[in-house]
Amino acid sequence: MRLSKPKPIAESDAKGEVERVYHEITQVLRVSGINLNFRTWAGYGQFLPVMWDAIRANLETRIFEDAADQIRAEAVRMAAQLGRVDVGSRLSLGESQSYQIKKALDLYHYINPKLLVLTSAVRLALIGQQFSGATQIDFDLIERGVPAHMYPMEMVSDKPDDELVKNTFKDIRRTLSLPSINSDYRTLALWPDYLATGWSGLKPIIQRDEYRQATDELRATAGKLALTLPYAIDISMEKIKEIGENEEVLEKTESFETLLPGLIINIALLEFGWHSPEALSCSPFPAERRQDAREAIGR
Amino acid sequence: MNWREFQAKQRVMEIGERFVSYIDEGSGDPLVLLHGIPTWGYLWRDLIPSFSGNRRVLIPDLLGFGYSDRSDRFDRSIARQAEMIDAWLEKLGVERASLAAHDIGGGVALRLAVFFPKRVTRLSVMNTVCYDSWPIEAMLQFGHPETYRKLSASTALTLLKKALKQGFASKPSNELMDGLLAPYSTEVGKLSLIRNAAALNTNLTTEITGLLPRIRIPTRIIWGEDDRFQAVKYGERLAWDIPGAELVRIKDARHFVMIDKPEEVSPHLMS
Repeated sequence: MRLSKPKPIAESDAKGEVERVYHEITQVLRVSGINLNFRTWAGYGQFLPVMWDAIRANLETRIFEDAADQIRAEAVRMAAQLGRVDVGSRLSLGESQSYQIKKALDLYHYINPKLLVLTSAVRLALIGQQFSGATQIDFDLIERGVPAHMYPMEMVSDKPDDELVKNTFKDIRRTLSLPSINSDYRTLALWPDYLATGWSGLKPIIQRDEYRQATDELRATAGKLALTLPYAIDISMEKIKEIGENEEVLEKTESFETLLPGLIINIALLEFGWHSPEALSCSPFPAERRQDAREAIGR
Repeated sequence: MNWREFQAKQRVMEIGERFVSYIDEGSGDPLVLLHGIPTWGYLWRDLIPSFSGNRRVLIPDLLGFGYSDRSDRFDRSIARQAEMIDAWLEKLGVERASLAAHDIGGGVALRLAVFFPKRVTRLSVMNTVCYDSWPIEAMLQFGHPETYRKLSASTALTLLKKALKQGFASKPSNELMDGLLAPYSTEVGKLSLIRNAAALNTNLTTEITGLLPRIRIPTRIIWGEDDRFQAVKYGERLAWDIPGAELVRIKDARHFVMIDKPEEVSPHLMS
């Protein structure tokens, strides 16, 4: 029995199996940092390594990447119908600041849809859902490795000194009923005025019924797409209990699955400050097909 | 100007897969100011007004520093930085520029003068790294990969601030100190600075020792005499090796000579 509440494990604090998994996450998911989902799961003993080893084969497939691309495109379509968050006319940003905010948004615009499909798959596996059941062994794989132009997943502390950031985080937590501030907001807090202005534009949209409907639809789509993943994911609750964990991991997983569609739509809404909906519908970091070793060296 | 106001003035340019943030102010003959470790372009904030009336002042953050690219996947050596500055000037359309540089920025400037001589019209280096004057012990320790796991960003920041204060003869304001270290206050910033420290390499200045006598541009070596990080004997050696170079000793100043004695340093960079 655990005596204290599990705490998320930061990248710099990761050791042993968690450190190994964090490295593999960046390579396989092609992402420059470790999102809150994984940092939180890592707090539950062996859960993260067991879950990761069970699901990783799926995450390297084109099927998974395509599913995330589909989620992203759908989120952009939904966001375009919800309106615009007008940050540009309310805030004067420097050229380098603007460039870096755009790159930071691109990072989350890329990774969040992948996280949603992955999280849905984890939840479905935990409740004993069967996956598509591969009839073939080999599927197209994507190349590993963080894209060269991807922004680092830099974040301010979750207990910031800056008053504006502190107040904005407080409002975000209260509005979204969050136990912790997500990586996305902690990254955008590198530019406190941008986060505060962006959030004040997002908040009224978030409180609309159409927004809730859009997030529900996106979550449902992610659930359907997760079931198309080709390889079985062996992380039933029985197995989780064998490693000393309980329903709490399922509850955490469900809470991330509930939260992520909103984050995906919010990032799309903020991205409209830089990109057209058409451009945003495409992956900011298209994945290349993985070549086998002989192909790669040209033999 | 606080560091956020300075950051808001920065422009940006992509150089290959990396990006560089920089200040571009004023008009006239281009003057490039290069910072050292562990600072960024903000180091020069108080000198900008004295130049921008009659010079085009260009202040890049070196790769891995300040608000230039700080992802954990590229070389930050002074050799790479010199190539980056050359490419950046090329893309800006600046054929030739005067260079004024501090600490490892001085190492970058010396390499530019040696390997890209057509790019440099004048050279001023301040308490620069050169020969085997570097890396200093503290930076060698900081650059160890385990530092990332051993020190939290906030602890690293506290230690850096303490160490940095030894570089001043004057009492730097909290605003300046907080600003100089602001880019390194996050875990990504801390890691980037660790990688910058890991890239400090004596060989990249000893490599050019034999080439220093071939520098044929007006050169000034400015040195805060009481520097605890870079001893003035290296300034004397540089002044002897570079033909026609003038050594300017600044009394009661340490490593951050341009902050300790801006009124004495600035005329030497203007002329």
